[in-house]
Amino acid sequence: MSLVSFVKVTYADRNRLEQAIMDSLHLIHYRFLSRSENIAIKPNMCYYWDYSTGQTTDPKFVAALIDVLREQISPDVNISIVESDASAMQCKYAFKMLGYERLANNYNVNLINLSEDPYETAHVTAGKYSFKIMVPKTIQEADLKINVPKVKYTMEPIKITCALKNIFGCNPYPQKFRYHSKLGEAIVAINKAMNFNLHIIDGIIVSGIQPRRLGLVMASTDPVAIDNAAAEIAGLNPKTIKYLQLAKKEGLGNTAFWNEGEPLEHFKTQYPKKNLQTKLMSKAYSIAVQTGLSKKLGLE
Amino acid sequence: MERIRLGIIGLGYIGKIHLRHCQKLANAKLVAASDLSKKALKIANDAGVKKTYPNYEQLLGASDIDAIIIALPTHLHTQCAKQVAEAKKHIFLEKPIARNTTEAEEIISAAKKNNVKLMTGYPLRFSPAFRKPKERIDDGTLGEIEIAHATYIGSGPFMHRAEAHTPLPVPEWWFNKKLTGGGTLIDLGSHLINLLRWYFGEITNVRSHLGYRFNLDFEDSATCIAKFEHGTLAVINVGWFSQSYHLKIDLHGSVRSLSANHSPSNPISAVIQTLTKGYSKFYEGHFIELQHFVNCLIKDRPPSPSGEDGLRDLEVIEQAYGNQIRIDQP
Repeated sequence: MSLVSFVKVTYADRNRLEQAIMDSLHLIHYRFLSRSENIAIKPNMCYYWDYSTGQTTDPKFVAALIDVLREQISPDVNISIVESDASAMQCKYAFKMLGYERLANNYNVNLINLSEDPYETAHVTAGKYSFKIMVPKTIQEADLKINVPKVKYTMEPIKITCALKNIFGCNPYPQKFRYHSKLGEAIVAINKAMNFNLHIIDGIIVSGIQPRRLGLVMASTDPVAIDNAAAEIAGLNPKTIKYLQLAKKEGLGNTAFWNEGEPLEHFKTQYPKKNLQTKLMSKAYSIAVQTGLSKKLGLE
Repeated sequence: MERIRLGIIGLGYIGKIHLRHCQKLANAKLVAASDLSKKALKIANDAGVKKTYPNYEQLLGASDIDAIIIALPTHLHTQCAKQVAEAKKHIFLEKPIARNTTEAEEIISAAKKNNVKLMTGYPLRFSPAFRKPKERIDDGTLGEIEIAHATYIGSGPFMHRAEAHTPLPVPEWWFNKKLTGGGTLIDLGSHLINLLRWYFGEITNVRSHLGYRFNLDFEDSATCIAKFEHGTLAVINVGWFSQSYHLKIDLHGSVRSLSANHSPSNPISAVIQTLTKGYSKFYEGHFIELQHFVNCLIKDRPPSPSGEDGLRDLEVIEQAYGNQIRIDQP
């Protein structure tokens, strides 16, 4: 069983965020190693949605984390914020539009587009598939890798996007939709190849059927456990999410977790969960897209 | 009855909408289409367009085309429209007519010189929701309009679709101010400025405040305050910053107030509307404007909004860009 902490932040200013991150780490008994020199932080950047949508990590949250790292490890630690190009998102614009370029200038940290980083290829299996994963140099050389995901629904069979799925975004190959027929396995394979040390969820605003200010900070060293907890908050049964089960089977972590801090139920009741109507509408739209009907009718 | 033979250049987002609507036009037939994308040309072929060309200059040479719909990125309007005019084809040109007034004047002059009709595409003027206020203004029901508010907020080129569907890549030209001529003010603002000019006449003075939420070198929001020749004062709000779509006008007259808005139908209604009428209610204005263009060609009347209308809108926009106010500084 792995520890997952839950901390409530009522008003997300910088000092309170920093304190909440510290509290979430204390609750899981996490201690930084002073010998860490190169740190990679992977926020969730998704398309050009800004943080208020709950789809992307708030740069203020990452700024607070940087303050924590410099206080706890060293003011001189080398920090890189990493992301890669995706099918519909270019890092050069996402960094600017989502506020990370300004953050990098103000905090003197590096912004790394992993799609432009040198890489080595790792051969990894997950389930019945084997993958050639490009592992970028910045990820290889980081002695502390911190994942800062969001909690959000997705229409794909994977149902929820959180810690494990966010690491999928470290895959430098931009045409990520090509993995979608075996997305669950690809997510697990990439996590096996990159192996992040710490996962801190920015749940200040979450994205369910709509955004909601939940004021949640979660932390764990176990991505499977934290994803199971996030799925429960979002009203999903983690046992029905195949890639979480596969991640456990492949040794990435435990599906069972120990709740530290605020009770999970407190956040679960407030999460903007799907209802029958939204489930049916999503299903109908998904069928229309898959069958090409939506394109024919000009609904896309 | 004469049948107008149409060609279309550019099959991006708006071009594909026109392509679909052309199938339903009375007294017109879409005979040719051009786009750099093979995928887009296949869509045109599948829609029954016999002649497709990767290079629009090949399309201009076709003798069986009377008029051409230009739905290209803004920076390509001038060169293309001039070539279309020289090929003696009538022009339906998407808004904004050009990146700036100099280019707009070149287009108008080319159309005049070659004696071809030129219409600028502004679908709001044809949308039933916004035609009704025009009737109420003109018949005096509202009295004299003292204050107007016009708001058009959406995602602009950062096209979001419903929850968790794959977002669309943003074409590179949208990020280049030199190619677009500006941000949301020229893109969405041109719609509202054109509509309000149709309602109230010419704008005598305009000031703007521009917003940059996304830290780009072009504005993603703008608020303009405009004075019209007959005294109406309008506040115009446009933005690309939202995931939702909101298009609304509020008119406050000395007798009555009136509001009108335009919003997407839910997907099920849109499917039913498209199957029954050939277009969804959301795009009704786009369909009617094309039909108006065709009708004007048949009856040999000048289409409206004209090229000059598009030019006037750009003059206002240029004035607004040059007349900015800063309220975030004391």
